[in-house]
Amino acid sequence: MNSVSDPAAFRAQAEAVMAKRQNSRYVVAGAYVVLLALVIWSVDVTVIQDTDWERIGGPANIWESVNRFMGLDLGLLSELLVPTIETLMIACLGTFLGLILCIPAAWFGAMNITPYKPVTYPIARLMMTLSRSIHEIVWALFFVSVVGLGPMAGVFAIAVRSVGFIAKMTAEAIEDIDYGPVEAIRAVGGSPFQVIYYAILPQVLPQIVSVVIFEWEINIRRSAVLGLVGAGGLGLVFFRQMNTFNFHGVTTVIFAILLIILLGELISYFIRRRLI
Amino acid sequence: MAILKVSDLRARYSTKGPEILKGISFEVEDNDFFAIIGPSGAGKSTLIRCINRLVEPTSGKIVFDNREVTALRRRELRRLRRDIGMIFQEFNLINRMSVMDNVLSGRLGYTSDVRTLFRAFPRSDIEHALALLERVGLADHVDKRADELSGGQRQRVGIARALMQNPKLMLLDEPTSALDPKISREVMELIKQMAQELKVPCLCNIHDVKLAQEFCNKIIGLQDGVTMFSGATELMNEAKLGEIYAMEVL
Repeated sequence: MNSVSDPAAFRAQAEAVMAKRQNSRYVVAGAYVVLLALVIWSVDVTVIQDTDWERIGGPANIWESVNRFMGLDLGLLSELLVPTIETLMIACLGTFLGLILCIPAAWFGAMNITPYKPVTYPIARLMMTLSRSIHEIVWALFFVSVVGLGPMAGVFAIAVRSVGFIAKMTAEAIEDIDYGPVEAIRAVGGSPFQVIYYAILPQVLPQIVSVVIFEWEINIRRSAVLGLVGAGGLGLVFFRQMNTFNFHGVTTVIFAILLIILLGELISYFIRRRLI
Repeated sequence: MAILKVSDLRARYSTKGPEILKGISFEVEDNDFFAIIGPSGAGKSTLIRCINRLVEPTSGKIVFDNREVTALRRRELRRLRRDIGMIFQEFNLINRMSVMDNVLSGRLGYTSDVRTLFRAFPRSDIEHALALLERVGLADHVDKRADELSGGQRQRVGIARALMQNPKLMLLDEPTSALDPKISREVMELIKQMAQELKVPCLCNIHDVKLAQEFCNKIIGLQDGVTMFSGATELMNEAKLGEIYAMEVL
């Protein structure tokens, strides 16, 4: 410890380090002050000023409001069966249709196999971005106005919303493939389709399966709320219970949604364990 | 008669990039086992890939089986490739498919896209594949996945796939350099036997000079894209070898 070659230089260096650390402490403290001011300001604007405090009333009133939801409306169960199946079907069909839409999106969107890069690559990227940046509720509103109320609008909304993620992951997997098999299939005189089908698809299939199962699981959640805008399934029942102030019915629907989401997770878990 | 005639072949990967092949000429006769030797980076792989245009040559002429390779359009090129079998250094098998499917993929050039979709190969192809697999010693591994095999076995699958094409020429791109010396010799022996049996001339990239001298009847030596030696194996001597591999010493 005491074997410092040049004590004076050593002391100067220590001073410099101390000073630097001191300065950075001021910067950190300043940042905390600014952050705290921002938090106080935003709480004031959004919570304190924008809330209708009179309507909430006292703690007793809040308790009463919460209590209205406590309890199940078992009479609703028979009405829930069909919408529950409908929600699952919207998720399944939507994922499947989305997968079909992904074929051009992933093919065009993989830099290494896109047919004509200046045109097809931007098309695919646009499809992916459009699909992911618009919320499923907005897609559902759009399709409800196109094909009318009902599950079909939900299926389309789910399908279009799924394209972005599945296609992006697939395109990235395609960009990472090993070129050896591609070269081999080209060398035997294979057509572009044969190259994709024999040399590329087998390499990316596990990733595609994994992504699709994941997306399907998410799509169950999505399709459960789509009914809020009239696109079929449990959401529609939920909306009706809320409008008729049947709060026990609302809770019942929430439990049904929870149930199918758990079911979806369970199924996806077992398929994953099997396949991957 | 020469099955393959290459004259003044030049290639570069980009317009500004260095020229990889600087005017290569040679001929492969019907019974040849023709070796291309040279240090790594000499352009051996590029040369062999120019023959079936996996790499596009920038200029020069390649005539294979009386067809001018360099002038062919895409569809004609695919037809031409059916007649040229290729064996690769890293085997280039489809790992997730069975040995059988890998061997059958040698017939893709003769298979329509619809048939490909259902992997519907005719019975004659299946029988041909089984016969070849037995010949290369993999009769017991027909249904195994390609990635379950050892390196030597995988290259045997590669050989069977190439022979599935009934090729008129075989291109071998360092067929043994991913294998250990003992397996290398076995694989080379198998290739040579099969080539003689089926009367298929071979053009073989190889960096192991000993193997080249043992198995090949003609040798072309490349260094930095230029032909340093070309002729019968017997004419190759230590001095010439030293010249070809001079770069490696530096």
